[in-house]
Amino acid sequence: MRIQESELVRLLVSKDEKGFEYLYSNYSAALYGVISRVVTDQDIADELLQDAFLKIYNKIDSFDSSKGKLFTWMLNLSRNLAIDKLRSKEMSQRRKSEQVGDSVYKLDRETTSSPENAIGVRELLDQLDENQKQVMELVYFGGFTQAEAAEELSLPLGTVKTRVRSALIYFRKTLDVR
Amino acid sequence: MNIEEYISSGILEQYALGELSQAEMAEVQELIEAHPQIKAELDLITSTLETLALKTAINPPTRLKNAIKAELDLEKEAKEIQLQQIKKEKSFSYAVAASISVAILASALAFFFYGQWRSAENQLEVLIAQNQEVADNYEFVNQQLKNLENDVDVLANPAYTRVAMSGTDNSPESLATVYWNANTEEVYLKIQNLRTLSQSEQYQLWAIVDGVPVDMGVFDSESNLLKMKSVGSAAAFAVTIEPRGGSENPSLQTMQVLGTTEV
Repeated sequence: MRIQESELVRLLVSKDEKGFEYLYSNYSAALYGVISRVVTDQDIADELLQDAFLKIYNKIDSFDSSKGKLFTWMLNLSRNLAIDKLRSKEMSQRRKSEQVGDSVYKLDRETTSSPENAIGVRELLDQLDENQKQVMELVYFGGFTQAEAAEELSLPLGTVKTRVRSALIYFRKTLDVR
Repeated sequence: MNIEEYISSGILEQYALGELSQAEMAEVQELIEAHPQIKAELDLITSTLETLALKTAINPPTRLKNAIKAELDLEKEAKEIQLQQIKKEKSFSYAVAASISVAILASALAFFFYGQWRSAENQLEVLIAQNQEVADNYEFVNQQLKNLENDVDVLANPAYTRVAMSGTDNSPESLATVYWNANTEEVYLKIQNLRTLSQSEQYQLWAIVDGVPVDMGVFDSESNLLKMKSVGSAAAFAVTIEPRGGSENPSLQTMQVLGTTEV
């Protein structure tokens, strides 16, 4: 069953159970993956996925479909929750890039349960050249902004942006995104 | 505005990753509405990010589903309770408190904006520097492009005879090509493979005219197409190694490549 985005938003706003079921079965794993890679601790990730759903429901009124897609909105919302958590007092030890590298791969297909069509982070990132890979580990999977990644790697921001863009264009082609 | 440049600046990626400030986001949104091409690119970027998220998804523990479901209902009740608890309060010192708050707020804002201004100044300097660098790069690339266009004109022009000069026994690996227009007498040289020389040496091109070597000019090992001296008729072309500045007569024992014009 496929529910149109506008219909899904309507179901979420009206707190219809169908909306929740659809949202959960289609997107919870993607959101959980994003959160888990940023915070790495499973208990915290569990808590954050709950927070993310609460926030989605609380803020769905302010979601504006003219400014972007629902899924992107939910991804950024979840990612931001995880990043905020990472920077909070409870987890104040900021990770260095090498640790991010480890944690990005720690949660891969072998160690976690993944939906059938998932590929796994390692297989994805191994397709990139070393430069793109290093930047994507931090930016996409590690929860760094591009500016933070530039600082962490002592690179000009423009270079980081170029690498992120070229990596995304590579995935656009290989994953056949349209 | 140049849309391609805007797209390749990476700002849409920042937008999609939620890295921009409110003001920057508003700017991007305006452009998205004005330019379908930008909108299309942004859609591709967000779709890629979405696909990546789906491809790297991890199933949450099964118990979480019911916990979240339960909490969503609780949240609803909690809101209602909160609403009932809101009370109106009036106080004698309300005006005093308000004016103190305003004073504090104004100071804080002044300090905040001073900081913003300072950081904007810094960012501006960085941007000016980056802009200069981009302009320099552009100039350089433009020059390269012009050179290449000239090269292509020569290479594609059927009036030019292509004379391949292959390595002699001195240097069997060496390779260079002369492009010679017998009508205009123009001669161009393209180096495919010549070894690097010491500072005191230079390559010299010769044309063999009626059995006599004629100087066609000296050159260093460059990758671009080189314009050499002109010659109307030649039976062969050859390259020798000479002292820097060239010689009047070729040092035949140093000949690197040789090619005849006969087809």
